[in-house]
Amino acid sequence: MAMRELVTGGAACAVPGSSSSSNPLGALANALIGSSSKTQERLNEIPTAIPTSSDGQFYSETNDRLATLPGSEFDQQQFLQPNASGSEFLRGFHSAGQSDLADAWNEIHHPPVPAHPELGRIHDGGVRTQLQPTLDGTPQRVLSSFLHTFVDSSRGGIPFRPTPLPLLGLSEGDKQCIRDRSSIMARHFFADKSEDFINAQVNALLCSLEIDSDIQAKGPPPGRFRELEEYWNESQGALGPGPHAADGWIAEFGQHRAEHGGPDAWAHSFVQQHGANGWASEFEQEQTQIAQMRGANISNLAAMEQTRMLAHTLAQNNDPKFQNSKFLQFVSKMSRGELIIDDNQVKPGASSSSGDWAGEFQQQYSGGLNWADQFVHDAGPERWVNEFTTEAKQRGSVDDPWVDEFSKLHIQDWVEEFGQQDEGAADNWATAYDEYLNEQEASKQQSDKSRGVYVFSDMNPYVGHPNPLKEGQELFRKGLLSEAVLALEAEVLKNPDNAEGWRLLGIAHAENDDDQQAIASMMRAQEVEPTNLEVLLALGVSHTNELEQAAALKYLYSWLRHHPKYGTLAPMEQSDSLYYADVVRLFNDAAQMSPEDADVHIVLGVLYNLSREYDKAIASFQTALKLKPRDYSLWNKLGATQANSVQSADAILAYQQALDLKPNYVRAWANMGISYANQGMHEDSIRYYVRALAMNPKADNAWQYLRISLSCASRNDMMEACDARNLDILQKEFPL
Amino acid sequence: MANSTSLKSDAVLEQMKLHLATDAGKQLTKKIGLVYQINIAPKKIGFNEEIYIVDLKKGEVTKGPYEGGKPDATFSFKDEDFVKVATGKMNPQIAFMRGAMKIKGSLSAAQKFTPDIFPKPSKM
Repeated sequence: MAMRELVTGGAACAVPGSSSSSNPLGALANALIGSSSKTQERLNEIPTAIPTSSDGQFYSETNDRLATLPGSEFDQQQFLQPNASGSEFLRGFHSAGQSDLADAWNEIHHPPVPAHPELGRIHDGGVRTQLQPTLDGTPQRVLSSFLHTFVDSSRGGIPFRPTPLPLLGLSEGDKQCIRDRSSIMARHFFADKSEDFINAQVNALLCSLEIDSDIQAKGPPPGRFRELEEYWNESQGALGPGPHAADGWIAEFGQHRAEHGGPDAWAHSFVQQHGANGWASEFEQEQTQIAQMRGANISNLAAMEQTRMLAHTLAQNNDPKFQNSKFLQFVSKMSRGELIIDDNQVKPGASSSSGDWAGEFQQQYSGGLNWADQFVHDAGPERWVNEFTTEAKQRGSVDDPWVDEFSKLHIQDWVEEFGQQDEGAADNWATAYDEYLNEQEASKQQSDKSRGVYVFSDMNPYVGHPNPLKEGQELFRKGLLSEAVLALEAEVLKNPDNAEGWRLLGIAHAENDDDQQAIASMMRAQEVEPTNLEVLLALGVSHTNELEQAAALKYLYSWLRHHPKYGTLAPMEQSDSLYYADVVRLFNDAAQMSPEDADVHIVLGVLYNLSREYDKAIASFQTALKLKPRDYSLWNKLGATQANSVQSADAILAYQQALDLKPNYVRAWANMGISYANQGMHEDSIRYYVRALAMNPKADNAWQYLRISLSCASRNDMMEACDARNLDILQKEFPL
Repeated sequence: MANSTSLKSDAVLEQMKLHLATDAGKQLTKKIGLVYQINIAPKKIGFNEEIYIVDLKKGEVTKGPYEGGKPDATFSFKDEDFVKVATGKMNPQIAFMRGAMKIKGSLSAAQKFTPDIFPKPSKM
């Protein structure tokens, strides 16, 4: 009974009506106990009644205690909802002293009884989903910084002043969460201050957020549940110390179950140790934080951070049983991102095998508790609850295995750990959370780049341009590569399926000396248009540049396969195991078929680069150049091949040809620098690197090479400008 | 590509081999005059390593264990990390601190192992 009250009370604190979705544990327990103790039916039988009677009820029950709380006099008229749930809570605790659930319930609920629409809905899965609040990320930021100031105020012990805030659009549930959480936190922060001071602080915070303080905010004052304390102490006495605590607890549990016919004893003990609404709202806070961030894709990060901290704490427990527990595995999987919570559904993370976990779990529990499976695969907490409820109805004593499982853990250790973590974390949770967010965002960008995900520029003036593709083509033709990149990014943002936009973007990146981005955009182009020969060749070239031989070979081979003329040469089912020699042979056949086709010679040249047969590569490119003398990228390919086969002097001539045809060819400028550097002419190489960087300050390779050349040329005086990427100084110092 | 292993480092070291034959490469042997052994592992340091000897005394790059005694310093890398260090994307000190580079042998010899001894690959 009390456990149900605890959790449903907590659930009611969340978003009324959608409570279970933000508090699946509450819903779990609700379903669990509701079904086992038949209070569910009883709840449904409760007739609709005059709401005010709930308040009256509430006060008659709790007046003596509430009288000690400043501010409680405001409660009567405000917020029926929280009061109702608050009264639920208190009722729960009172009835705990009595052994008979039904008696307790009836005693409190003399008709007329208050309506609990939220409870009704908990049992009615269908309604809930529609009542999900829609929240977005921006107010989250505002709120987060506001909470920072509140946390900071605790350091100096300065009274916190109400601050006007923009409209945050907090739902009742959010408000309730903030109210609960802040009152708990305030008690941590101001442990040395008086109760009045704490209440003043909390009220100031709540006032700013336009949340009416109410009974829940005050937290349980000491001695509030004296009878429970005694009860707890009594049961504590029976427990053995040390590692046998859990066993004792089980025995204790069984005993009380027999005596009192429900798991309420456990709930009481827990409540006693952690404050009445502390635990529920703690959990719910976590849940709601996730819910609040829905829509913004940082929600997984938040969840991961929270679970990471939890996993850390849990992992410190040395108990081998606990270490092997499924719960810990689940939590640490979540913290590693192998499982993610998305829209309140647990899904397997991209890189994980969490499906195994669910399967394994189900196996072990012989299908009896296949909630895990359901939960992981397709069910959100709402459906999960339904599943569970049906399950529980079928198996009356479904809570027994659950309790057994749970009691294998050293519950007391865990409880202590949790308490400790809360105290330690309360101080800096807001800060740590924000730091982690930023860190994750930064590292995500990094890893995206290396994984072949296209990274867009932050500020793009071409977004909203009526025809960015045309603009991009024009800019590209003029040789303004960095501008063209921006325009083309705007195009592919507008039309993500525009293969030509992605292709040209890829070429612009390649000419701008950024192969990672070039590969990323060419891959998108290839998705849209898998047989575009130019795209396939460009992918082959970029992968060759990145020394990724297998990938390069794959794309060059598909170039041949998709070529209208040479496609017949390539056997169909060979693409899995490509042998370099076979591919070269096929291309040589193609070159014999039509020696006038410059493209075949170009691909052959790239292939020979791959095998580092530079002489053959140079010959192929030179053949191609006879057919296509005005192809600047071909001149650059020749130059690069010559440079890599240490014919740097020849290479410089080839680059010069390329630059005569296309003066803004960043890659050729950078290659010039490399060739001079490889000949030991570091001063000259610096000038070319600087020139390349002046045209594309984002060319990371060139910055790295510039740094090396500066140190080789003993120009450490310019190192600072290089590290700060100060092109003005560098251009003045090293004019070309 | 000719053989089955397709280490990226192989390309870098092949270029190093050619580079050492040039004038700039010969200056390098004069300047450093040490023998480095480089162990390249495809995925994890210590597993399936390929051994390369970068002999900056004679100006050679060879594959397989060193036969002229003991190298002055031995480095172990993952394939990708070696390419990063050789192309200046990762500072050797940072690589060492992160555990991406393991060093055996003379510390003073190891300190001369810097990105600038490697030729830079040009891009097509």
